Amino acid sequence: MSVGTEEKIEQRGSALHEFWQNLKSTPKSFLDTAFRGGAPKTDRTRSTFVFGNVFFHLHSVRTHRWSLRWTTTWGLGIATFAAFLITLITGVLLMFYYKPSPDVAYQSIKDIHFVVPTGRFMRNIHRWAGNVMVITVLLHMARAFYTAAYRKPRQFNWLMGMALLVVTLGLSFTGYLLPWDQLAYWAITIGANIAASPQEITNALGITQHFDPGGMQRLILLGSDTVGPEALIRFYLLHVMILPLVLALIVAVHFWRVRKDGGLARPADADRRLGPAKGTYPIFTEQPKKTYQLAAIVRGRTPAVGNGPEGTVPSMPHLFYGELAVLMLTVLICVALALIANAPLKELANPGVPENPAKAPWYFLGLQELVSFSAFMGGIGIPTIVLLGLGLIPYLDRETAGTGEWFGGPGGKKLAWRSVWFGLISVLAIESFVIRFGWLREWFPHIPQLVITAINPGTLLTLAYGAYSVWCVKKYNSTRAGAMALFTCFLCGFVVLTVIGTYFRGPNWVFYWSPADWPGH
Amino acid sequence: MSEEPKTPRSRLEPEPVSRRDVLGLMSLWAAASAMFFALVGMLRLPKAAVLSSPSKRFRVSLPQTLAAGEAFTPVGRNVAVYRDEQGVYAISRVCTHLGCIVKPTAEGFECPCHGSRYDRDGVVTKGPAPRPLEWLAVKEQGGALYVDEGASVAAGTKVKV
Amino acid sequence: MSKNKYLLLISSLGVLLLLVAAAVQENFLREWRRVQASGRNEEGSIAVQLRQIVNPGLKTSDRCVSCHVTMAPGESTVTGSKLLTAHKPVVHDPSEWGCTVCHAGQGQATDRADAHGDVHFWPDPMIEPRFSQAGCGSCHAPLGVPEEERLSLARNTFARLDCYACHKVDGRGGMIRPDGGGMEGPDLSRVGINNYDRDWYAKHLQQHQQATQGPWRNSFAAVNDQDRALLADYLATTMAAPKLIEAKAVFNSTGCLGCHKVSGVGGDEGMDLTREGEKDPGQINFAHLAGGHTVENWMAEHFRSPVSIVVGSQMPSLGLSDREVDLLTMYMRSLRRKDLPASFTPKDRVRAVRFGEREFAGDGATLFGTFCTGCHGGNGVGRRSPGMPSFPAIASPDLLGRVSDDFLTENITKGRPGRRMPAWGELTGGLKPEEIGKIVAYLRELGVPYQPDSKPARWIKADPEQGKKLFASICSGCHGAQGQGIEGPALSNKVLLATATDSYFVQTIGQGRRGTAMLGFLEPHPARPTLSQAEIESIVAFLRTWERGKK
Repeated sequence: MSVGTEEKIEQRGSALHEFWQNLKSTPKSFLDTAFRGGAPKTDRTRSTFVFGNVFFHLHSVRTHRWSLRWTTTWGLGIATFAAFLITLITGVLLMFYYKPSPDVAYQSIKDIHFVVPTGRFMRNIHRWAGNVMVITVLLHMARAFYTAAYRKPRQFNWLMGMALLVVTLGLSFTGYLLPWDQLAYWAITIGANIAASPQEITNALGITQHFDPGGMQRLILLGSDTVGPEALIRFYLLHVMILPLVLALIVAVHFWRVRKDGGLARPADADRRLGPAKGTYPIFTEQPKKTYQLAAIVRGRTPAVGNGPEGTVPSMPHLFYGELAVLMLTVLICVALALIANAPLKELANPGVPENPAKAPWYFLGLQELVSFSAFMGGIGIPTIVLLGLGLIPYLDRETAGTGEWFGGPGGKKLAWRSVWFGLISVLAIESFVIRFGWLREWFPHIPQLVITAINPGTLLTLAYGAYSVWCVKKYNSTRAGAMALFTCFLCGFVVLTVIGTYFRGPNWVFYWSPADWPGH
Repeated sequence: MSEEPKTPRSRLEPEPVSRRDVLGLMSLWAAASAMFFALVGMLRLPKAAVLSSPSKRFRVSLPQTLAAGEAFTPVGRNVAVYRDEQGVYAISRVCTHLGCIVKPTAEGFECPCHGSRYDRDGVVTKGPAPRPLEWLAVKEQGGALYVDEGASVAAGTKVKV
Repeated sequence: MSKNKYLLLISSLGVLLLLVAAAVQENFLREWRRVQASGRNEEGSIAVQLRQIVNPGLKTSDRCVSCHVTMAPGESTVTGSKLLTAHKPVVHDPSEWGCTVCHAGQGQATDRADAHGDVHFWPDPMIEPRFSQAGCGSCHAPLGVPEEERLSLARNTFARLDCYACHKVDGRGGMIRPDGGGMEGPDLSRVGINNYDRDWYAKHLQQHQQATQGPWRNSFAAVNDQDRALLADYLATTMAAPKLIEAKAVFNSTGCLGCHKVSGVGGDEGMDLTREGEKDPGQINFAHLAGGHTVENWMAEHFRSPVSIVVGSQMPSLGLSDREVDLLTMYMRSLRRKDLPASFTPKDRVRAVRFGEREFAGDGATLFGTFCTGCHGGNGVGRRSPGMPSFPAIASPDLLGRVSDDFLTENITKGRPGRRMPAWGELTGGLKPEEIGKIVAYLRELGVPYQPDSKPARWIKADPEQGKKLFASICSGCHGAQGQGIEGPALSNKVLLATATDSYFVQTIGQGRRGTAMLGFLEPHPARPTLSQAEIESIVAFLRTWERGKK
């Protein structure tokens, strides 16, 4: 044996040793590589934790204390997203068993309900999370409005939010048909006929045969002239594929813009209002001495220069605890609802026996109430006006007072209350009038339909709200005040009409104080 | 949070870590276990509790004229049922190689897919099949014969009727 | 931040708790688990798992066997909870056919209330167990069922002639051959479905007469033609559901088809009953019903008093006994139509639907019972029902003695336009000419033969003007100013005027019709004027003016 060989053996021995050591430390090094930067124990590693992680790096490394107050957002945006995640997961699970064909769709839901392990629970969660999502997205929008968070530079993101509202309603509505029960069948029949409501105008003008946008919309939605297998597969495709993808896409833009638009809106003097931070240690208190490097190429104000104490805290853990808490709270609410009440499932769809009353999903019952006056105005006209108005708000209101504050701007909370009263009284007055005395058709049976389309309780209510809002603009000398008046009025109108449609409308859409008064069949 | 500094410190210095954050850890663990439990529940869903196929156990009525050693193949079932002096027995017609349906012949069974051959008792005589054909449980109950495709018995088990 | 931590902790623990609760509920507390845990077979306890009977042909997957385990294939020996009692032997093995095809209910469900269909939004709840033979109606249509009296006569004949000595029917009778080679005679429980030719029985008896020895010769005496017809009627109805046949016999004695249609046969006035057994409890108005809100109870109470259950109902109160109400309810529940693949459709349904074979027997009594009794009463005694004009007593000798068979045939065929009597010969789903002939013959059996007088059909030459005044003052109170009929029958009726002879009118006005409000006007009566023969003739002359289109 030569020395050389001995050395070789020694070397090999050390390589083996190294191999062994590497093997032993693999779990640790795997974790190190998976979670870049190590445990979030110091200010620096906490930062790495945020920007070193694909899921977290959409957050900024530090979050302003103003954004972390519960009253700033009530966590509504995160709750909406959480509800979306819940529906996504439970929805994928339901797809294991759901069969989108009229012959077997209902049976497959029954199977999910009765024999699929955890199936009933998952379907209930899916259903309730969908409803939670609709509610939270509406509340989230109201929050953004009332804190004037749509203002520069967040105008575009307000539009993205509106798109998300529409897609959310679309998701919920398309999901409604899938069980193929009576509830689904007749709700979708009505929904599809609302899509066809431009025919009211074209019929009145006598041009439906040549130009029929309403019929076209309905045909494209249903793929046939009645709700049938084609409609089911279309709704299924929209519900599980197209709309979720669109939603995910817009959500990505929405989140990204939140970050790029400087986080949540807050008052200019937020730091002063919050006062000196107590207890929480690492608050960004230094007077910065230089701008950040990116500032050279990014337009806009640099985050820190000249602003003095910022009052930010590390997002990890301050923000994440909040987000996680809201997520779990949303899960809790959905799970609790799922245990309390089963998702509805009526009889197998029967095209020959309409439900009476046949009602759309609850969030469309306000529309259905309007549709009962005029199909076109209620189904297309007024919603379009509302959406247009909402979209224009950030471009018309360019004031600065009150950004980031609840009911900020001229008028404030008092104006909001006044608008609530105006909104409620007008809608209740006009509803009571119609319920008590009827409308033009009852008085003048031969009146042209176009007159009713133009003059009906829905359009009058819209006009009243509009006029009141203009009056507010003048009185407070502020566009914001007008916007607040209008938004509040429409919100009240929406709520009242929805409640009436849900609880006080019975067979043949007749007003009843209680379902106990409904006539039998 | 015992080490509260008197004066604000630079954010560039590492923050001293609070050693015990019992509340934070508890809440995180609670969240993690809730999620884990939910995951377990979700993972149970894909495994169906009942199958959409008909019951594995089914009733057969053998023709009076069935000769000993002649195969009776009930419609829709991959089974060959025989009756001889010792009794009734059923042999699965599912090839033990890759699940093709074997054909009863005078000599035994032939598999059309990869050429496996079995003798009349289902023992492999040729081809890639690793095991003999399964003998299936036959049960007499209330004057009716039931064959259970889901339950195999030892080869040669015959039920006296 | 600690607020968020608390929120996180509390929500997470809440979620955990609820998930555990849901898991426990699903995995331990389900009812079928408890039932199956009590189950034992030869090998000990049975596996606790969801069970079902899948029948791809009928498109059913019945999870009923998750509790009623013994109905599953090869599980009949399981014992334990009361729910595990084995099904009594029936023609269709439940382990093959599943449960809901006969019993209705929600086969896919695994909870008691859902499975039995006692829930909102399940349109086809389980048929009450005491009516379970109604389930046969899902697929079968019992054919040629006679009215009640004839059915019991036919059944008794079968017993009286001692057919049970060799033949088994519905578990009764039958004898084992001394050599152990099976039954002496075949089981006749389902021979009705096989639809043997009626002559077959004649041949069968001929065999007996030609036999010289053996059981053929010794077992029974000659059977006369009348008995043989009864036997044929009885055997045509056997389908292993004697209770259902009895129920249908009651239906065929109650005259329901006079107003209602079943499978396209019957009157137009009432609801079509073809699928009445599938009545959706969700569509029933239980508001006026005392007692349980079940389909069966609704039907039973409706039979007792139609108008108090369905406001404004035109159905007369039939004065049925409890037994009849029960049987009719059972028959109603049997009016079901499961959509069957061709290979599952039984012969009797094919014969009824495709070949238009009658579901009632062809004798006059049954035809009268099936179509006429509802209005004209059993044996044609008429019917009075509160709130309705009384229905004529057509078997009254005062009618039958005065009208010819042609009159009866014509009136049944063409009906009474404007009144409730439909034109049975012209109606879709009405009667065939030979059936109307049978009914007329049956009416003659009930009443008296025609006693014609020597006068021609039209002999009156009186002055209609005098008759008009008399009619307005005396007759219009019951028969209506225009003769359109109010409490009394309509006299301006074209069919009546065309078929009735002058003598018929004169006799009816003069001598009246016993058992009705029409008393003879020749007889003095304290409550109203008496008419002379001439006055009566003038009224008849006035009636005749309507015939000429003068209203």
